[in-house]
Amino acid sequence: MMQPVDKIIFGDNHFFGINHMSQEKAQQLAEKFFDISAIYAVYKTAIDSGIKAIMLNSNERAKDICKHFKDNKSKYPELNWYPSIPYPHKYANLISEKGIMATINEILFKNNTPIDAIGMVTKGGIGLIGKDAVKLMQMLIDVEVKMFKGLNIKVVFLQNIITDLMLGYNVRIIFEEYCNYIRKKHHATPGLITQNMPILKAKLEEWGIEGVVICSSFNKIGYLMSPDIDAYLEAAKKNDPTKYQLMAMSTLASGAIPAKEAYEFINSQNIQSVVFGASSKKHIEETASLIKI
Amino acid sequence: MNNITMNMKKAKIGIIGIGRMGMTHYSIINSHPGVEIKAVVETSSFISGFIKKYLTCVNSYLDYLNMFEKEQLDAVLICTPPTLHYPISCRAAKNGVHVFSEKPFTTDCKKAAELTQLFNKQNLVNQVGYVNRFNDVFRKVKQYLDSEVIGDIIRFKSEMYSRTITKSEEGKTWRDSRENGGGALYEVASHAIDLVNFLIGKPDKVTGSSLSSIYSKHVEDAVNATFLYKNGISGTLNVNWSDESYRKPTNKIELLGTKGKILADQHGIKIFLKKRDLVNNFHEGWNTLYITDLFKAVPFYVRGNEFTSQLYHFIDCIHNRTLKNVCTFHDATQTLEVIDEIFSDFELNGKLS
Repeated sequence: MMQPVDKIIFGDNHFFGINHMSQEKAQQLAEKFFDISAIYAVYKTAIDSGIKAIMLNSNERAKDICKHFKDNKSKYPELNWYPSIPYPHKYANLISEKGIMATINEILFKNNTPIDAIGMVTKGGIGLIGKDAVKLMQMLIDVEVKMFKGLNIKVVFLQNIITDLMLGYNVRIIFEEYCNYIRKKHHATPGLITQNMPILKAKLEEWGIEGVVICSSFNKIGYLMSPDIDAYLEAAKKNDPTKYQLMAMSTLASGAIPAKEAYEFINSQNIQSVVFGASSKKHIEETASLIKI
Repeated sequence: MNNITMNMKKAKIGIIGIGRMGMTHYSIINSHPGVEIKAVVETSSFISGFIKKYLTCVNSYLDYLNMFEKEQLDAVLICTPPTLHYPISCRAAKNGVHVFSEKPFTTDCKKAAELTQLFNKQNLVNQVGYVNRFNDVFRKVKQYLDSEVIGDIIRFKSEMYSRTITKSEEGKTWRDSRENGGGALYEVASHAIDLVNFLIGKPDKVTGSSLSSIYSKHVEDAVNATFLYKNGISGTLNVNWSDESYRKPTNKIELLGTKGKILADQHGIKIFLKKRDLVNNFHEGWNTLYITDLFKAVPFYVRGNEFTSQLYHFIDCIHNRTLKNVCTFHDATQTLEVIDEIFSDFELNGKLS
């Protein structure tokens, strides 16, 4: 039986110049939140409005955000954290520039020198790490989760680019070991972000991997929902929340659906949690009041 | 999944080169119900170690020649550094194997024409990874141009920006060598050029080319050129893969026609019309279509709908030989010819003495 997650979670895409619908909008957001104190101000507004949970991707700016909340922990004692790892563009750009091995080297050894990693390298050379992808994954998880240590971590999510890439490879042990490691080492619930929720959920069931939070796009126009919206509706309807908690993201489809309409749809689904982003007090409060799951 | 795929024997696939693209392609194509991945070729011990341990149904090879000798394959995906694309395609044709190649499928126009002829003669499916042709937005733009929504094209602008190379290169990898298919023109500008060929057609003349190095030692990081057409159309190309103001690679196209204008990027389309268009329900002035209005859900998503669409198209062409293959060696040869002209134009006219 899994622990229920927070029903309403405050996301972070809007802070980092991410908007799926408009490059211009993304640039405006990046400008607006250039000054990190503008981000803290929005968090304060959200928390004052009753938000108790935050999802945050482990990008470079997240380090400062985590530090801010650790330094002010007494002010926000009840805040739950939902990190998502890794920051995919960091890896993608490094791989383009340097290749896969050099990227792993840099991520693991630049600012972090886990003893395990050094041990592995001296034992058999870096090539050996590839033969133990599980060990490598565990080391990378530790590097990414490090910035969140000291905060109340509820769920650690794997970003969709990694989840869906590995889902395509159809390798059970990677998912199994990810979930086990998040539970045992980081004392949190494992989470998987995906753009293929019905396919992922069916696989997890087939593999007997339970107790996982599955976060996916969920909106009435079927945007970023593969294979199609009907498969999502069916999978959600049949879901047993004691085995999988479903979390909806992209509920407004980057603004294509008006909030009221979007959440009327979400509220009618068997969904346990919603992650959303907004910057103004009005929008935060309006969205939070519309979510009735 | 269509009925044809359901009833067909699975296509046996080999993937050669498991770098960034090979890794993505493996995941996507493995989700196709009409596919069975039989073999992988990878020289790095790190990747091949992973394959041997975790993908036990797949045979792993260090050498593609060895794979072609031992495996009975229907098709291969070629995702190696570019210099190997040509010899691998030749070897594949010898075995009667269909080919999807990452771009550039060769850097030599003569070899490109030769491969096109070879594959067409043998009636083999041949496709190159110019993924914009499968993008929901750019497909829609093509449809609007074909139905003359903005009338006859007068001028255009094709742009692509990314933050791919943002540090000084040591000049040791294939990416920092033009001979090996590296540099912004082959790797990034080729997408913007292919988009021009797809939407407007191949230019008749290239002029005003400039290539600049920003970080790379031996190759260009930014490219400009002007394209001229015999029918009077002209357009510009502006590409930079060292532009840190872009978080993600961005393609943009602007087309001015006799009846209006189209601006498009991966996020959507803006259309300005001088007069109302009843067929498409566009009013006079500006009209906006977002990606959320235009997308078509794909069966399995890894990195964007277009990446799934292009590989599913390749497989569907193998299963159903009546389908018209898109983004073929012939199309890619035309893109390569434009690239060659930019290099020649820059050598001849682009340098101040």
